[in-house]
Amino acid sequence: MVVFGFLDWFWLVIFIVLMVVCGVLFYRLGKRSMADFFLAGRGLPWWLPAASVYATHSATDTPMWVSGVIYKYGLRGIWYTFFSAWCAISAFASSRIFRRSLAYTQAEWQTLRFSGLGAELLRGWIAGWQVFMNMFVLGWVGIAMGKLCRYLFGWPEWIGLVLFSSLCAIYVLAAGYWGVVMADFQQGVIAFSVIVLVSIWGIVAAGGPQRIMMKLESLGQSWRLNPFAFSGWASGDFPLVWFLTMLVIAVIGGFGMGTAIDWYPEAQRIQSARTVRDASYSIWWGSALIVVRNSLWAVAILAFFTLYPNITSTAEYEMAWFRLGFEYLPVGLLGFFFAAIVAIHLSTISTHLNLGASYATRDLYHHYLKPKASEKELVWVGRISTLILLLGSFLYGLMMQEITQWLIFALWIMAAGIWLPNILQVIWWRFNAWGYLSSWIANLGFSWLVVWVLPEFRLIPVLPDYLQFWIMMVLGALIYIPVTFLTPHEDMDRLVKYYVMSRPLGWWKPVHREAERRGLLQVVKTQSEGGKK
Amino acid sequence: MSWIKKEWTAQEADRWTKEDYLTFIISPLVYVLVALGVAFSLLLLWYGWVILGVSIVLLVIMIKIIDPKLKAISEDYEIKQKKYLEDLEKIARWEE
Repeated sequence: MVVFGFLDWFWLVIFIVLMVVCGVLFYRLGKRSMADFFLAGRGLPWWLPAASVYATHSATDTPMWVSGVIYKYGLRGIWYTFFSAWCAISAFASSRIFRRSLAYTQAEWQTLRFSGLGAELLRGWIAGWQVFMNMFVLGWVGIAMGKLCRYLFGWPEWIGLVLFSSLCAIYVLAAGYWGVVMADFQQGVIAFSVIVLVSIWGIVAAGGPQRIMMKLESLGQSWRLNPFAFSGWASGDFPLVWFLTMLVIAVIGGFGMGTAIDWYPEAQRIQSARTVRDASYSIWWGSALIVVRNSLWAVAILAFFTLYPNITSTAEYEMAWFRLGFEYLPVGLLGFFFAAIVAIHLSTISTHLNLGASYATRDLYHHYLKPKASEKELVWVGRISTLILLLGSFLYGLMMQEITQWLIFALWIMAAGIWLPNILQVIWWRFNAWGYLSSWIANLGFSWLVVWVLPEFRLIPVLPDYLQFWIMMVLGALIYIPVTFLTPHEDMDRLVKYYVMSRPLGWWKPVHREAERRGLLQVVKTQSEGGKK
Repeated sequence: MSWIKKEWTAQEADRWTKEDYLTFIISPLVYVLVALGVAFSLLLLWYGWVILGVSIVLLVIMIKIIDPKLKAISEDYEIKQKKYLEDLEKIARWEE
């Protein structure tokens, strides 16, 4: 239990009031239209969505997760957090293409890239799945706050869950994405400052960098300082083949849309940027800050390890970074630290409340239920959807203990087998809606088989996750590649329109030729080629 | 860097060129070097500062390569955006 002094409560109350008021102030902008409520009118300079990318992906459970992998693996653990590097290429490839499509959501993009029944099925499926996923993430992150409040103040878990998510909902309901992004900027600044402060404080508390390295050597743990201390090609707890798989998933994944679960919130930030250039830089710089943050945390957790080297319980060493703050910061700064935790919490909650509501409003209500709805009505549907997501997240949060295992599995099956189709839909003109849809269905079946059913019946051994990834990729391709070739390509009118608007990279030559034939592309003369379309 | 194009017309910028492919290589490298550089620098290891320095140099080179092209794409695209948004609404409202 932590005891707060007057100054601690003062910091906390001031910061919460600032965060909520800062969001509510944008009420008038948020209510103007659906584009304002969900995309801030598509007019933000790059640094605002960049701050939002950073703030959103610093949640209450993020320091727990980073603490866990660094305490267990040493600096090698940095690579477990490196999946955010998909933005390195995405910022200049898929983000550019997506921004030019102008789709509100990834679900809407499906009906711009594909056509007919297949496209509508995909839009409906992705919209429904995203409403569910955002509610789930809200519950997951919300209950992490509940657990932290129980650890700190002895409160029952539901209080931390309900109290802070409800505070956040005030400005999301009032101002929509305007409130989210403005509060995120403020929260991002507070959170980054405190992450720097607490991490350096922790390093100093452990005796400084020299002392940390000497202590690791005396403990026979110097390998923890080597981020490339592989346990073998394919053996041990940190095989080289896992590292290479991670690099492929993260870096090459940047050519696709949806290859990382973070794509969906990022897609909203991409569309809220005022230009294509702003969209690219917002994603790149937001993720660069995440990379810096992870390294700061990593060294702080190494410091924690030298202070407490014998913790075996995962639940205990996952609290490492929080413990550095609450055990070593002086009274008066504790409230400041907790305010920063509240900041990173609210930034994540606000994003997922608004993002889930955008799929419910734009894709389900507007597109399928009431296409002629007025802007005013759509903003109100956005607010009602936000409220439903909030209430649903309380339910999820409170039953999370029982369902976590199932939902982690659900996350995994949504990621592994559709990684390549998520890239193909961007870079290959011939890949059609039926191919993409079949990859989702095939992935559902194969992931159950490979991850769960076959190992359970001892028909195959329990495979390491990198091997599961490659196997599911190959098995899925055996389904969606034939399906793609056995069904016709998308309507050429739709493909040409999409191509001229978005200018995707990859294999689009037949569509390019058709666009040329229709006079939709202008001749470009270059020195080397003398003239090229 | 005379081999890097600095002046772009909108039509030229719409094509995927060597400037894009170079950015695809440099950008992940910058992330890797930043991750390592920040961690080693905090541990006050000399090579941490070197790695961090290299990452900053690469970042500046990357921006010099890609920024003129991104500016050209943006300027041209924002002119067309209004028409595209009208089309988008037609699809959402089943008018197309």
